[in-house]
Amino acid sequence: MRLNKITEAIPFLAPVQILILSVIVIPSLYVIWLSLNASSFGQSATFVGLDNYIQVLSDPAFLRALGNTVMIVIFAVHLELALGLGMALLFASGLPGRRVLLVAVLAPYAVSEVIAVAMWRFLFDPDVGPVTAMLSWLGLPMLDWSFEPSHALIMIGLLTIWLHLPFTFIILYAARLAIPKDLYEAARIDGATPFDAFKKVTMPLLGPAIVVALLFRYIFAFRIFSEVWLMTQGGPARSTEVVAVYLYQEAFSYNAFGTAAATAWIMVLASLLLATGYVFLLRKQVAGNAH
Amino acid sequence: MRTKKLAIGIGKAIAVVAILVWSLFPIGFIVMSSLKPGQDIFAVPPKFVFSPTLQHYVQLWNGWGVFFGGLLNSTIITAGATIIAITASTAAGYVYSRYSSRMLNASVMFLIIVRLIPPIVVTLPLFPIINAIGLNDTHIVLMVLYATFFVSLGTVLMRTFIDQIPRELDEAAQIDGAGRMTILRRVIVPLAAPGILAVAVFVVVFAWNEFLFAFIFTGTNAKTAPLVISEMIGSIDGVDWGVLFAASTVQLIPVLLFVIFMNRYLVAGLTAGATKG
Repeated sequence: MRLNKITEAIPFLAPVQILILSVIVIPSLYVIWLSLNASSFGQSATFVGLDNYIQVLSDPAFLRALGNTVMIVIFAVHLELALGLGMALLFASGLPGRRVLLVAVLAPYAVSEVIAVAMWRFLFDPDVGPVTAMLSWLGLPMLDWSFEPSHALIMIGLLTIWLHLPFTFIILYAARLAIPKDLYEAARIDGATPFDAFKKVTMPLLGPAIVVALLFRYIFAFRIFSEVWLMTQGGPARSTEVVAVYLYQEAFSYNAFGTAAATAWIMVLASLLLATGYVFLLRKQVAGNAH
Repeated sequence: MRTKKLAIGIGKAIAVVAILVWSLFPIGFIVMSSLKPGQDIFAVPPKFVFSPTLQHYVQLWNGWGVFFGGLLNSTIITAGATIIAITASTAAGYVYSRYSSRMLNASVMFLIIVRLIPPIVVTLPLFPIINAIGLNDTHIVLMVLYATFFVSLGTVLMRTFIDQIPRELDEAAQIDGAGRMTILRRVIVPLAAPGILAVAVFVVVFAWNEFLFAFIFTGTNAKTAPLVISEMIGSIDGVDWGVLFAASTVQLIPVLLFVIFMNRYLVAGLTAGATKG
């Protein structure tokens, strides 16, 4: 369509744009305004500039929540990537009944965070959990997740890997299947060992998919809320809070909308930063491959 | 050579078993435990042979009427969100696929950037507004929220799928005198069905399972099934595991079967969604 006929396209675009503007964009921009004011229920807002940001960034509870979030992101996302990559290569190496196996691997995608937490709480229950029983049978320490914050974070990390591994696996497996067989053929004829082929063919060609999978998972793991809230509610004594739980507590438990809003924009900015960083890396990588 | 092959085969078999246990054991365990009589749930080591009983389901039915209300709410909200998301995404995806202008290209970028905003951010301003206009605890709020958080991905996916439909078909229909709306309904929608199903899988799974928005925006009337289950977990001094497992099974089985049957569309959607948008 020529540009002068754009009016014809408006009715088709309107529903999507109206939904996004009214539910996401305008509220998010309004959150900037909230973040620059001190406000609570039934109290008129007063402009305080960047005070809320300073207050949040110097709050030990926020810093701990941020630290926990970063730990979960680094631990869970990278372990998930390693597992997903291993599985993708295993599947691509030829397995009998691949279609059925694929469906089995996808199954956790259907599971709600709520139910996943119920499963985990039972499997790792200190008294009756079968995984706890198995760990002690193997002579391994149990995860004392309801008292020990670091154990709780490990549990949450494992849970988040379990829920999102299907996504990471599919992205990597699809990218691996997209690599032409001829390349491996050619590498073999040139006398390359399977390890050489992996290093010189598989890894470079999987690069962009790995970056995409990492980017998505960093951004989504950074906003983790339900798993933590349902597992520990951030406790004991706020020791397992993550940034989203901190935000929730500020807003809905302490009615401190200003600091909650500042936290929200810190989250948005962190996501944007991650995204631009990766888009930049991806561009550089694509440009590098072209030479 | 033969022993090496055998070793590789055994290694692969072990890896496959590990993957299956990892993916399916927690799900199988919940379903199995929901059918175990009384104290068998807590047997250590777990019992894999037992006489199945529906007693926990009977308890669920008798004691947790609110759970079945939650299932009904989840069904209504999931259906509504899916219809909104599919309709809006297909219409927009059609325009993005068939026409191009600088403004349109810029707005695709906008659709992608919007996905970077964490859903919890919008709860801050929406919570007081939704309360003020009296929409708190209604189905429509969750339908719109769930649909909106998927229309950006949905639109990009639909554009990718519609791109694969030859333009000649549109042009032929146009020569026959069909308007844009007719072309969309008669030509595009039937041929873009796999894309529509891919979007549907995303929205259905998300809306059926979502916790955060349901937790913040519903109380009693529109409470969804995951929220009721979270209350069962939350009764700290006495989680009735049998009933909790029964409720989890009832909530999980429909969406699990849906994902199993739609796995092709899910894979296509995940792949296209990650590379194109």
